[in-house]
Amino acid sequence: MSDLNRFRYTMESCNHCGQCKWILPSRMWGWDFAEVCPIHARYGFDACSGQGLLNMARERMENKLQWSEGMAKLVHGCTACGACDVNCKSVRDMELQETIYALRQDCAESGFLPEAKRRTAENIRKTGNRHGLPPEERLARLPEDLTEDENADTVLFLGCDIYRRPETALAAIRILKAGGVRFRILREERCCGAYLWRAGLREQAAEQMGQNARLFREQGIRTVITACAECFGSFRNYYPRVTETPFETKHITQIAAELIRDGRLRLRGTEKPLTLTYHDPCMLGRLSETYVPWEGEIRSYGLHVPEKHWNRGENGVYDPPREVLKAIPGVTLKEMVRYKEEAWCCGAQAQETDPDLAAFTAGERLREAAFTGAEAIVSCCPYCRDALSPEGEQPVRYLDLTEFLAAHIREEAEA
Amino acid sequence: MSLSEELYREFAAIVGEKNISREEYILAGNRAQTPEIPMAHKSADAILLPGSAEEVAQIVRLCNKHRIEYVGVVAGCIPTAYSTRENSIIMHFKRMNRILEINEEDRYAVIEPGVRHIQLYPEVRKRGLSYTAAAVGPGGSVLVNIACTGGDHHVQYGTSRPTRYLLGVEMVTPEGEILRTGSLQTGSGWFCPESPGPSLRSIVKGYAGNAGKLGIVTKIAVALDRCKGPAEIRTEGISPHHKVFMDSDCSRVYVFNYKDIQDVCRAMLALGEAEVCATVQKYFYLPLTLMMTDSANEFWKKWTGGYKEALSMPLVVHIAAHSLREREYEEKILFDVVRETGGERIPRELEKWWEEHMDYFMIVSRLQSVLRLGGSWLPQKAGAESVQHMCDVCESIGTYIHDFTDTGKIFDAPENYQIIPMEYSHFASNELLIMWDRTDPKAMSYVGELGAVSRATDAKRHFYSSSPGVAGKAGEATGRLYSNVHVWMGRIREAFDPFYQSGL
Repeated sequence: MSDLNRFRYTMESCNHCGQCKWILPSRMWGWDFAEVCPIHARYGFDACSGQGLLNMARERMENKLQWSEGMAKLVHGCTACGACDVNCKSVRDMELQETIYALRQDCAESGFLPEAKRRTAENIRKTGNRHGLPPEERLARLPEDLTEDENADTVLFLGCDIYRRPETALAAIRILKAGGVRFRILREERCCGAYLWRAGLREQAAEQMGQNARLFREQGIRTVITACAECFGSFRNYYPRVTETPFETKHITQIAAELIRDGRLRLRGTEKPLTLTYHDPCMLGRLSETYVPWEGEIRSYGLHVPEKHWNRGENGVYDPPREVLKAIPGVTLKEMVRYKEEAWCCGAQAQETDPDLAAFTAGERLREAAFTGAEAIVSCCPYCRDALSPEGEQPVRYLDLTEFLAAHIREEAEA
Repeated sequence: MSLSEELYREFAAIVGEKNISREEYILAGNRAQTPEIPMAHKSADAILLPGSAEEVAQIVRLCNKHRIEYVGVVAGCIPTAYSTRENSIIMHFKRMNRILEINEEDRYAVIEPGVRHIQLYPEVRKRGLSYTAAAVGPGGSVLVNIACTGGDHHVQYGTSRPTRYLLGVEMVTPEGEILRTGSLQTGSGWFCPESPGPSLRSIVKGYAGNAGKLGIVTKIAVALDRCKGPAEIRTEGISPHHKVFMDSDCSRVYVFNYKDIQDVCRAMLALGEAEVCATVQKYFYLPLTLMMTDSANEFWKKWTGGYKEALSMPLVVHIAAHSLREREYEEKILFDVVRETGGERIPRELEKWWEEHMDYFMIVSRLQSVLRLGGSWLPQKAGAESVQHMCDVCESIGTYIHDFTDTGKIFDAPENYQIIPMEYSHFASNELLIMWDRTDPKAMSYVGELGAVSRATDAKRHFYSSSPGVAGKAGEATGRLYSNVHVWMGRIREAFDPFYQSGL
């Protein structure tokens, strides 16, 4: 039974004001870069937007609309990036993102989960990672002489990306070691489960998350560090829904910014002046706020009893990545029109179900990045990396922030 | 009744396969019941995304041929943006979204229907220009606000109402012809709204904008004003806590509270006579409190904790000057006027909120927070006459509204009306905003009662305080006050839309 009924108030409150589709006035710039919703920008129909998904959810709840392959493709083509939710909540008390999650849950429970997503979920079930690769390969590309502190209560969570691109994990390790952070790596970690939650596979997600949370508890872990935005958002926003989380989650950019501020991480300059622009990953930014459960009654004129905590995107991790980049001598940081809580999504979440939409969305972001005059777009999410570094010539190149930072650590010998 | 396969193919041939859909999940996005309207909307049989006036004209002709209702939609947040019967289509103007020209010398912009305020406003502002955006959110259509609806805005004191910013018009008539009015029809450009002879634009568009709904407006020229203020507005913060930073030498905001609307009236007239200040308005106190809070719960705490009294009759004033000296001059006059009329500045912490949001477009984007209370709402008394007349109308509200607010039939905010002077107080618009609990099954009957009492009061006291209805019961009730406009509108419609296919 899906959660759709829990969001009846939200569905019945929408008046099609359009705030879910357009950038907030605080960031307005002009005719271009004014949209925030990739599916709306691409397809144009009102149904292809946060508002439209609410309308579909309502008709599903009222049993007036049946699932079809086309509808499932749209619902999963939506990147669930949360831009609509932040914009809606700038003026309303509605749970748009949660309703989209519930609609996806309904989609899965109705047997319409797109085939590509079903395959990935099966990979996770069988192997503990998205790619379906043998778990024993997970740490194969880490250095054999990697020294860890087996007694540390901090873990570097490597995530599924370690299978494809160990360079990011190696860079994170280098940052932590250079900063003198005690940490360990857990051989038994599994996929964080974000993929499953977003696909609407609630039970499988809960099982996956429960395994990791149990592992952290058993190993006495109190801090989880990750270089993956998806894992970060998952630990902060999805885990509290299904399991106890007696641990703190930090992104590598938060750790690095602290180390730089404390003078524990010294950096060398770029070979030549470099103008960069930073792309906020959804799961590190607006979707990374800690989830606070609420059960209660909505009385006349919107009074929530007991009082409800609202995640409006305000407390995402926006500044640490920027602090880190600005701390590297030679780097000039330029902002895109849509940044921080208003960032345009990279489109990665649509790659499996709607590759054309994904390419359009990424293309828009690269065009916006180039518009700033930057030579490269920097981010810190493996899925943003996939989306923003497609094959062929691009208007700007992509840099991984963790790897870029690690490459500019000044070793003691240099100092 | 759904469209036949053959007819659907004909529509698809006009707009292209990617720009038409009859999938139920796509139709769902344009038929959902919205909180302010108690009835469910009809579902269109298809939604089309035309790309040009020529495509619109072809669609209209096809609709006429097959007796299919067509409805034009951009944002979809007004009650007329829905199908009203079976056998209908919706034309959505997402693709017709170009700013075709911004003429800085003659000060006009030529736009298509899909251009939103969030797109045009910063573009003209970069050029030191502005226009009066109606009080809708950033996603509202500029063309719809200026050419097709009668919405007003809060900046009009120093300028005029949006409909007066309409210059040349290109539209597709109900018979499917492309019509160009004003200077356009003589090939003289976009800048003039009329040309010799009868005002075809006014006849076709009708007094009541979208309620007249004759054909589809496909391009307009919008008149632009010079803008006092920075080309780009500097902001800081993360939503929902953005702040605006204005040049403090040239921009100041003051909010005064009054006890008597007639004193507000005297202040408005005196400021207008002196031709000072950029914005002067008596604002709604319920939306004002909502805009200053982040959730319904926070609203309730502040509303019952002193805001209702502190903001009971607020006069909001924005001074936008070219220089420090000009600002100081206007301030001196303002303070003299306020002293003479008995206004008192509200507590600084409340006034500061306005200062930090004092770009009116940003204020308007916050206005949607009215809906945070989860109820339904209805603007009433949306009329325009002299400042004195509008103030008298609003004063009369107190003679009957307490029967509704004190008994819980509607939200307890009896003074929740606004008065916007325009053209330096040469005339004004007013609006009473009522809210009610949408979960109360009797709420609509209360609203009906209130509407009837309001209209009766207007008729008895000869008030011109409501936009006249152009058809049906609303036309019968108010049309006679306005030279039988409902009769004339009916005749115009018969003449221009013989098949009654444009949705109403």
